[in-house]
Amino acid sequence: MNKTALSIIIIGLVIGIGIVVMSGSKGDTNTNNTKVEQVQNVEIKDGIQYVTIDAKGGYLPRNSNAKAGIPTKLIVKTNGTYDCSASLVIRAIGYQKILQRTGEEVIDLGTQKAGTPIQGVCGMGMYSFVINFE
Amino acid sequence: MKKYIYHVSGTHCASCKILIEDVLNEQDFIEKAVVNLKKETIEIETESDKNAEEIAEILSSKIKPNGYTLSVEKIIIDKKSDDVIWMAIPIGLVFLMLFFLLQKSGILNLGIGGAMTPVTSFIIGIIASLSSCLAIVGGLVLSLSAKVTQDEKEGSTKKLFVLFHAGRLFGFAVLGGVLGLIGEAIGINFTLSAILGLIASLVMIILGFNLLGIFKKNKITLPSNIFKFFRKAEHTTLAPILIGLGTFFLPCGFTQSMQIAALSSGSFVSGFMIMFSFALGTLPVLALLSFGSVSFAHSKNAPLFFKAAGVVVVGLGLFALLAGLAGVGIINPLFNI
Repeated sequence: MNKTALSIIIIGLVIGIGIVVMSGSKGDTNTNNTKVEQVQNVEIKDGIQYVTIDAKGGYLPRNSNAKAGIPTKLIVKTNGTYDCSASLVIRAIGYQKILQRTGEEVIDLGTQKAGTPIQGVCGMGMYSFVINFE
Repeated sequence: MKKYIYHVSGTHCASCKILIEDVLNEQDFIEKAVVNLKKETIEIETESDKNAEEIAEILSSKIKPNGYTLSVEKIIIDKKSDDVIWMAIPIGLVFLMLFFLLQKSGILNLGIGGAMTPVTSFIIGIIASLSSCLAIVGGLVLSLSAKVTQDEKEGSTKKLFVLFHAGRLFGFAVLGGVLGLIGEAIGINFTLSAILGLIASLVMIILGFNLLGIFKKNKITLPSNIFKFFRKAEHTTLAPILIGLGTFFLPCGFTQSMQIAALSSGSFVSGFMIMFSFALGTLPVLALLSFGSVSFAHSKNAPLFFKAAGVVVVGLGLFALLAGLAGVGIINPLFNI
């Protein structure tokens, strides 16, 4: 076959794979939906800030915005989760645990300063989430 | 007694030298055959009255099934293999694309609730064998399979794979049973499994480039004593079983979840059953990869298969390497698959 044609096919495929791999998770494709969840997934009750993240086939929402200077707890919800997102690592607070298949894990994040985002990744590193503190 | 020097192509590792010498020394009319890897030549001593070309033809047919060619004249640029790589890259990329699309599709995220029975762990095994775990476990199986079939004869490779899969099935089962019995974590150490994952992805990348045959001059090869060990282990049969067993500790979210399930199952038998049926669920895909490699490797499409497999393995290896580095916190996560 023609090498020029094959080169174009190869470049196309590489770009295609790049787009598939680098593009965000399901949440990003529907920005409105993500925004709603961002508002909903952080709430302050009795002086403690709760950030809720779903863990199943990745973490949702991937980006959360929380307030700095308030004691914060992270709630990770699993629901029949067997994939990598069940093995959670939050390096900033030295946390690593394989979560229950179904349930809620409450993780104390302490009081965070503004501008120091907290990142969680799954054990193999293919899923991640970030909580920004403002 | 006559002496001939031939050029040989397709040699890329220390074990090729041993293999070619073994095959050629088996021929009745050959007194002695010595391969020079650096010069890519074979020096033979023979009693035969046939001329150099005829001998080259006979010997070439003996080592051709293993992917080597022997010639009087040096083949400067193998034009055919040049064309093969142009076909192999798109084919490999298409498979990589399908793999990543499958991960993105969310099909594999179906929830399985309820109690952990052998049936559910079997189903989870099937899902796991198609999931991102395939990048590490499947990629490693594919690269080792392709590599081994390139270097070994058909009969012995099949035996190696049977032993590998048996080691994996029963290793998982026994370790699962032990988890259930002692109720404590073995192998569920994040750092250990992350390091193993990084090593596995590096091995995949090296073997992948090797399959591609990109580094014609500076061939990257694993040290020859590793291959000697495997060749020796072929007789002891221990190595493939150990590698199969070792996949228990490779980083895979599904495997880790199942280890937790076995851990909390409370008895040797239930832990054994959970991990055995999980490993059984992963068997079809992994068996397809390894035994598929054997049949492709001995067909006429062998060069295309090896190179396409090389592309897939390098791609998966890079993916696993970058993900693994993010997992241990060395780099920021680049993607969300």
